[in-house]
Amino acid sequence: MKTMVEARNLRKSYKRADGSTIEAVKGVDLDIHQGEIFSLLGPNGAGKTTTISMISGLVAPTEGDATIGGHSITKQPMAAKRLMGFVPQEIALYPELSARQNLAFFGRMYGLGGKKLSRRVDELIEFVDLADRQNDRIDTFSGGMKRRVNLAAGLLNSPPLIYMDEPTVGIDPQSRRRILDTVKLLRDEQDMTVLYTTHLMEEAQELSDRVGIMDHGEIIAMGTQAELTQQVGEEDRLEITTGAQNVGEALTERMQQDIAGLTRVLYNPPEPIGENSGESTPARLTVFAKRGRTALPQIIQTLDAAGIDIQSVEVREPDLEAVFLALTGRALRD
Amino acid sequence: MRKILAITAKEIYTVFRDRNLILLMFATPLVLSTIIGLAFGGIGDSDVPDFAAIPVAVVNHDEGVDLQETVNLQGQFANLDALPFNLQDIGLPSELSGVGPNPLLQSGSELNFGDILAGILLSQPITGTATLGGAEIDVAQFECTLLGPPQEEGAASFAAEGSLDDLLDATAVQDAEQARAAVQSGEFAAAVIIPPGFSRRMIPQFAFDEGGRLYTQPADETGSVEVYANNGRPISSRILHSVVAGVINQFERVNVALSATLETSVNTLVDSLAVGDIDLSAVNLPATAAALQGLDATTLEPLGCLIAPGANNVTVAQQPLDALQEAPQFARIIVPIGAAQAVFFALFTGVFGMNSIYEERKYWTLQRLIVSPTPRSYLLAGKLVGNLAVVFLQILILQAALTLIASAVLGAPTFIWGTDIAALLAVTVALALCVSGLGVFVVGLAKTPEQVQLFGPMINISLAVLGGAFGFALPEQAARFSLIYWGVDAYVDLSLSQPDVSLNILVLFCQGLALFLLGTWLFKRRIDL
Ligand SMILES: Nc1ncnc2c1ncn2[C@@H]1O[C@H](COP(=O)(O)OP(=O)(O)O)[C@@H](O)[C@H]1O
Ligand SMILES: [Mg+2]
Repeated sequence: MKTMVEARNLRKSYKRADGSTIEAVKGVDLDIHQGEIFSLLGPNGAGKTTTISMISGLVAPTEGDATIGGHSITKQPMAAKRLMGFVPQEIALYPELSARQNLAFFGRMYGLGGKKLSRRVDELIEFVDLADRQNDRIDTFSGGMKRRVNLAAGLLNSPPLIYMDEPTVGIDPQSRRRILDTVKLLRDEQDMTVLYTTHLMEEAQELSDRVGIMDHGEIIAMGTQAELTQQVGEEDRLEITTGAQNVGEALTERMQQDIAGLTRVLYNPPEPIGENSGESTPARLTVFAKRGRTALPQIIQTLDAAGIDIQSVEVREPDLEAVFLALTGRALRD
Repeated sequence: MRKILAITAKEIYTVFRDRNLILLMFATPLVLSTIIGLAFGGIGDSDVPDFAAIPVAVVNHDEGVDLQETVNLQGQFANLDALPFNLQDIGLPSELSGVGPNPLLQSGSELNFGDILAGILLSQPITGTATLGGAEIDVAQFECTLLGPPQEEGAASFAAEGSLDDLLDATAVQDAEQARAAVQSGEFAAAVIIPPGFSRRMIPQFAFDEGGRLYTQPADETGSVEVYANNGRPISSRILHSVVAGVINQFERVNVALSATLETSVNTLVDSLAVGDIDLSAVNLPATAAALQGLDATTLEPLGCLIAPGANNVTVAQQPLDALQEAPQFARIIVPIGAAQAVFFALFTGVFGMNSIYEERKYWTLQRLIVSPTPRSYLLAGKLVGNLAVVFLQILILQAALTLIASAVLGAPTFIWGTDIAALLAVTVALALCVSGLGVFVVGLAKTPEQVQLFGPMINISLAVLGGAFGFALPEQAARFSLIYWGVDAYVDLSLSQPDVSLNILVLFCQGLALFLLGTWLFKRRIDL
C-alpha cells in the first residue's frame, strides 16, 4: 500500500494576544494511503484545520514535517503542492467574480493556461453541475452552489490527493448529499486520495475507509471504523431525550448501581442553539449498557419514578460517536 | 511571471467590478471637483485672479553698475602684467599698467538692469542711458536683433494684445518689507523685489588668465530677483514668475553676447599687438578709444530686446502668457482642484487596496493562493503591481473624466492638462508610485486592518490639508511635505505649458520608491508572504 501523506510529530503553537501560547496541534502522526478516504473527526477547535494547514504548506509547523508523495512540504513545497488540491472550510472564492472567472483565475495559479485551462474549467463546471450559472457572480449563489464551486476549485490541477476541510458546513441536506456522493465518486472513479475533516460522525461513518479521531490537538484514536468501535467493546448506547427537569448526579449514579449491565450514564442538559434563537437542544441522557434492550424497561421505570419526562428513546449499535464519548466523556457536538 | 500578471489583472478587474468602489474612486472626486470648480470659476476673484490686472508691487534696490568699471581693462585685471608684451615697450605710459581710471571709457557709463526690469513691469519707458566714451547713446534706440525685424507680424500682434500693461497692475514700492506685508494683506498678489547689487551680479566679470588672454568669469547666481507671492494666488504668482524669468533671461543673453564679443575682440587685439601687426606707438589713443566705443555699441545691441515695443517678455514668457489668456476660467480652476481630488481619492485606493489582503485572508482566498504551487514572492509581487496599476489607472481615468467635464462645461473640447503628454504620463507614474507606496507602507506598518482603517484616512487627510486639496493653502514650506502638493504643482505647471516638472517628478519618484521598498519589506513581514 502506497503512502500518500506521511506526517510525523506535527506541532503547532500560536501566540495569543495576551502573550500566552496555545498548542493547537500537539504532535500528530498521520499516514494516509493512496486511494483511501481518510477522515479527521473531531469537535470544533480540535485542531483539524491547523493540521491540514500544516500538511498543505499553508502554515509552517512549529515542529515536525510531512511528506506528500515523498516530497517534504517544508523543504520541497512546490513539488508537494503540485500533487494536492485544497478545499478550505471557508468559501474561498472572489464574490465579485463569476464561477467561471474564479476557476480560471485559480487555474492560472496552478500553471494552466489557454485551451487547457478553459477545457478543465468546462469539465469542472460540468462536474459540479453549474453550467447554466457559470457566468453569474459568486455572491448571487446559494450556499450549496458556492460549496460546489469551492470544491471544483480544489480539483483544477487534477490532483491525486485532495484535502477537504469540512466541505459541507452550512448547507441544506440536499446539497450535502451531493457533496458526499461527489467525494465517494472521486475515490471510486478517479482513484483520488481524500483527506476529509468533519465534526459530524455520520459523514465520517459514511465516507471513511479510515478515521482519525481528534480532540484538543491530538489524534486520540485511529483506524478503520471496525477497529475503532471494537475499542469501546460490544456495548449498546441508549440515547434518551428528556424533558426540562434536571437529571441530577444522584439519579445517574443510582441508575448505574441499581440496573444490571449499565456501565456508564452521561447527562447533557439543554443548551441554547446559536446566540439568541431562543431554542435549545433537548436534554439528553446517554446510557451505555451490555444489553441495551433488556435494560430499557427498568431505565424507563427509574426515570418515571424520579419524575423525568421521556420524549424519545433510541438504542444504537456501537459507532464513532460512542468511541468519542468513551474516549473523552463528551459528545462530539459539544 | 504569468502568475504575477494573472494576480495583477485580477486585482484590477475586481476593483472595476465593484460598483461601490467605482462610486468612491471616480464619481465622488469628479462631483466634488466640478462643484468646487463651478463655484470658484463663477466668482472669479481672489483665488482665481482676473488676468486683466494682477496687482504687483515692484521694489527696486539696484544701484546699477558703471560700465566703465566693467570694460575697464587695466583697472580690473590683476593679470595684466602677464600680457605677452610689455606696455612700456609699445610706448604706453607706465601709469597705465597700474591702478587708476582707464581713459578709454569715460566715467558715468551706467547700466542698471534693475531699472530696466522695473520699467518693464511698470510699463514705463526705459529712461536709463549708457554713456559710452563720452558720447551719449540712448539704449532705447537699439533694435532688437535677436527678435528679428520688428515689423514681423507676430511681434506686432503680440505688442498689440499681450502688453504687460494689460496683464499687470504694477505699483512701485520703496521698501521691500512694506511690499511683503502688502502681499500678505492681499493688497498685492505678489511683489517683485530687485535686490541691491543686482546689476553687478548680472554683469559678467572679465579677467586675464595666466596666458594673458581675456575670459569671462561666470556670473554670480545668488541674490537674484525675488518674487514674493501670496499663496492664495498661485496662478498670479506663476504668471509673474514667468514674466520676470523671461526678462532676466534676456539680460543673460545680453551678457553672453557682451562677453563673447569682448573676448574675441580684445583677444584679437592683444594677439595683433603681440605679433606686432599693430604698432601701438603709431596709434593714437583717442582713435583706439573710438574703436572700442564702436565695439561696445554693437555689443550692447541685444539690450534693445528688453525695450523693443511690446516685446518686453520675449521667449520664455510669451508662450505661457498667450496660453493662459486663452484658457477659460473653469479650465484653469479645474486643473488644481481636480488633480488634488484625484490624488486624494487615489490615496484611499492605495491604502485600502493593500488592506484588502486581510479580507483575502479572512475569506481564505489568500490561503487558496498560498497552497497553490506559486511562490509567495509572486503573490506579493502580483498584489503590489496590481495596487500600483489600479492607482495609476484611477488617476488617469479621473484626468480623462475631468477633461470631459471641462469640455462639457465650456461647451467645446478642451484638453486641460497642457500639451506635454510624455511629461504628463511621467508625473502620473511617479505620483502613482508614491500613492501606492504609501498604501503599502501604511498597511505594512499597522498591526491590524482596524489600525489601517483608523490611521489610513488620518494620514490621507493630513496630506490633503498640507497639500491644499481642501481649498485653502498652507505655507509652501509645509505643503512640500505633501505628495499632493508635488503632484498638483506639476499638473498645474504642465497645464500652463511650463514643461519643467523634473524636480516634481524626482521628488515624487524618490519618495515613492522609498515608501514602496520600505513598505514592501514591512508588508511582507506583516502578512507573511
Ligand atoms: N491563527 C491562529 N492563532 C491563534 N490560535 C489559533 C489560530 N488558528 C487556530 N487557533 C486555535 O487552535 C485551535 C485549533 O483550531 P482549528 O485547527 O481551527 O480547529 P478545528 O479546525 O478542528 O475546528 C483552536 O483553539 C483555535 O482557536
Ligand atoms: Mg476547522
